[in-house]
Order: sequence, then structure tokens, then C-alpha cells
Amino acid sequence: MENFGYLFAAYTIIFAVIFLYVVFIWRRQARLEVELRTLEARLKEVRQELMARETTARAAQ
Amino acid sequence: MNKSLNLALGALTGGLMVVAIYMVFEYVPTEADQGIVQRIFYFHVPCAWVAFAAFGLVAICGIFYLWLESPIWDDLGYAAAESGMVFCTLVLVTGSIWAKPIWGTWWTWDSRLTTTLILWLLYGGYLLLRAMADDTPQVARFAAVVGIVAVADVPVVVVSVRLWRTIHPAVLVTREGGHGLEDPRMVATLLVALAAFTALFVWLLILRFATLRMRTRIAKLAGELNLAHAAAGDL
Amino acid sequence: MSGFVAVLRKDLRLEVRSGESTIALVALSLLILVVLVFALDPVGGVRGAGIAAGALWVAMIFAGVIGSTRALHAERDNGCIRALILSPLDRGALYVAKLTAAFIFMAIAETAAVVLMVLFFNLDFDARLLRLAPVIALGALGFSALSTLLAAIAGRIRAGDLLLPLLAVPMFVPALIAGVKASGAALTGAPFGAIAQWLKILVAFDVIFLAAGYLLFEHVVGED
Repeated sequence: MENFGYLFAAYTIIFAVIFLYVVFIWRRQARLEVELRTLEARLKEVRQELMARETTARAAQ
Repeated sequence: MNKSLNLALGALTGGLMVVAIYMVFEYVPTEADQGIVQRIFYFHVPCAWVAFAAFGLVAICGIFYLWLESPIWDDLGYAAAESGMVFCTLVLVTGSIWAKPIWGTWWTWDSRLTTTLILWLLYGGYLLLRAMADDTPQVARFAAVVGIVAVADVPVVVVSVRLWRTIHPAVLVTREGGHGLEDPRMVATLLVALAAFTALFVWLLILRFATLRMRTRIAKLAGELNLAHAAAGDL
Repeated sequence: MSGFVAVLRKDLRLEVRSGESTIALVALSLLILVVLVFALDPVGGVRGAGIAAGALWVAMIFAGVIGSTRALHAERDNGCIRALILSPLDRGALYVAKLTAAFIFMAIAETAAVVLMVLFFNLDFDARLLRLAPVIALGALGFSALSTLLAAIAGRIRAGDLLLPLLAVPMFVPALIAGVKASGAALTGAPFGAIAQWLKILVAFDVIFLAAGYLLFEHVVGED
């Protein structure tokens, strides 16, 4: 079993790097999803506000 | 990308990976000359294959982006370059760990190592360009051009480095590939590992591609929100 | 063709008036060679020739990178690049014109660098230098082809100055390997056959980057 350390190190590094990369992608994805939800909610709000104003303006005429 | 496809690919990758690990550590016979360290080979070579495929994909995406100007190609190219870089780094690191007990040194300027290092530098430059600049169609075109030029450079790099090395005798002439794989179990292990890494690459590529698509969608929504605000503001 | 001549003439006239790029390139080459003499302490003879060839190419790369960054600032500061992009000039012709100007400045700087190299590294002014000429010329052409394309990219993003060498140097590696080997062989008086294989690589490099630059330049300078 000589040189087992090298073999172990090589495989540990491979899996560590891949794992870290997946975590990096997932965290970024989660962050973007939050951002997307916030944006969508705000867009909906502003649009509803616009529609409401339009109706009041039409009612006033 | 829908969730079930993602899950299925993740499961396939995980399954293949488990089989590959079993074969590397249990099934395959130990190589006579190099001993146990030679088992690095079964994951080292798939990493190299995936890295080269990824870099080729970067150039293909670059050509399609310049031709069709669809941001999908840009995002795919970016995702391919990034995951390619991850695997290219792994090739260099595992190669180095393998070289130490076998060649007695962490690094030699052998033609394959040198070529891989230059590839790493080339795509490091590509990713730095993407990291430093904003996400505009102009920068996407720049990245496409750099990706294409980098791949066009690769054949000359390979030839020049090989010629450069024949002047100085290589440390070790024979290495992996063709020579040491006399046992069919070794071939089988390598093939399974290749399949596992290809699945892993596709999975990572899709994951990364999805986040990049989402980034594009967010930019578009932010633009719409600005427009809506402007419309609301003028009352 | 007239567009090509006009752009080239503009670049050359600008340079003749100020002389900035050429002086900066020659001064940089001088400094790099001096630094390398201190760093490597070469003696004459074969070893000296080999190191001299390497030093010459280091000078070429760094002077070339800094020179093209400078040219790019000049273009950006006076809004010239904007005007060139808006002009109806064919993109390929524009590329060839910028490339020719870059090549001329580099050739001048390289000639000076070779003279300095002979002096500093205790070599002789003899027929061997003639053999060096095509090697240097091909290297300078390849570098100009590469840096003209990349400078157009680097000139239009924020951290462009930093990015230019990071992109250009790895791409120039094959020409660097071939150039250093061919120059070393030429300076030690090796037969032409020893240089020929390296010249082939340099020619291939030049052809690839000239073609890539010519074809891709329009995508780089296209409007936003």
C-alpha cells in the first residue's frame, strides 16, 4: 500500500472541488431565485397600482 | 430546465460515480509498474477529456452566438468555460499528485502538462474577461471572439510544445494511454469513469446554464420594472 | 483600399509628430534587456546567445503589450475609435490598417532591441543577424495580429489594461516557443534546416491569427 497518501489526496481533491462547485452553483441559484421573486412581486405591485390609477382616472371623467 | 430532468441527471451521475469508485478501488487490478498510485489515472483522464470537450464547446457556442446572436449560446458558452476550468484544474492537480511518486517531481515541462497549463491560462483569461466586464451583448461578443481564437490557437500550441519537448528528452517517454491497459478490467474501469464524468459534466453544465439563464431573466425583469416605475412616476 | 491607406496614414502621421509609441517601446525594450542582464548575468558564446534570444523575446512581448495598451489609450482619449467605428470603412480593411501600423512600430522597436541585445550580450554584428530578421519579423507580425484584435476588445471594457496581457500572453505562447528557439539557433549560427521547422510554426501562427482577426474584427468593433 505504498503511496496510498497520494492516491487518497488525489481523489479527495477531486470530490472536494466538485462538491464546492456544486455548492457554489446552488447558492447562486437560490440567491437569484429570491431576487427573481422580489422583482416579480414588485412588478406586479407597480402594475396593479398603475391599473388602479387608470380606473380612478376613467371614473372621474 | 425542469426539475425532474435535473434530478434524473443528478441521480444518473451519482450512480455512475459510485460504480466508478467501486471499480477503481475494488474491481480493477493494481498496475504492476506504478503500483497503487496508477489508480489516479482512472479519474485523471476523464477530467482531461471533459475539460477539452468543454473548451471545444466554448468555441462552438461562440460561433453560434456571433451567427445567431441569441443569448442562449452566450450563457451556454459561459457555463461550458467555467465547468471546463474546474475540470482542467483537476487535471493539473491530480496530474501533479501522480507525478510526485512516479517521476519524483511535482511538475515537469512535459508536452502534455505544458499544453494543459497553457489551456488553463487561456480559459482563465476568458473567465477573467467575463468576470471583469458587465453582462452586455457587446461583452458577450468579445467573449465569443476570445473563445474562438483560443481554440484556433490550440493546434499550434500542441505542435510547438511537442517540438519544444523533443529537443529536450522527456523525463518519462511512456505514460498512460495504450501502454498500461493490458487488462480488460482496466479498460472497463476507464470506460465507466469516462461515462460518469461525462454525465457529471452535462449535469454541472445544465445547473450552471440554468443560473445564467435566470440572471438574464432577472436583468430583463429589472428593465421592465424600471419602465413601469417610469410610467407610474409621471402621474 | 483608400480607407486602409487613410487609416494607416493617420496612425503613422500621429506617430511621426509625437514619436511617443516608438520612443516608449524602445525605452521599454532597453530597460527589459538591462534588467535581464542583471538577472541572468550572461557570458558570451553559446550560452550568451541562447539567453540573448530569450531576452529579446521577453522584451518583445512586454514592450508589445504595453505599446498596444498605450495606442489604445490614445485612440480612446481623442474619441478616434468611436469615429472609426461610425465610419463606413470595411472592418477587414480597418483591421489590416491598424495591424500594419502596429507592425511598423514593433519592427522599429525590435530593430533597436536587436542592436541593444548585440551590445549588452557581447555578440557580434555579423551575417547571423540577417538570419534573425525573418524570425523577428514573423514574430512581430503575429504579435501585431493578435494584439490588434485583443486591444480592440480591451479598449472597450473597464479593466481592459489589465486584461490585455492576461489574454495576449497565453495566446502568444506557440509563437514565443518557436521564436525563442529559432532566434537562439540563428544566433549560434545553426544551419537553416534547424530554423526552418520553427519558422513553419511561426508562419502557421501568423496565418491563423491574421485570418481570425480579419474575420472576427467586425464583431469586436460592431456597434453596441
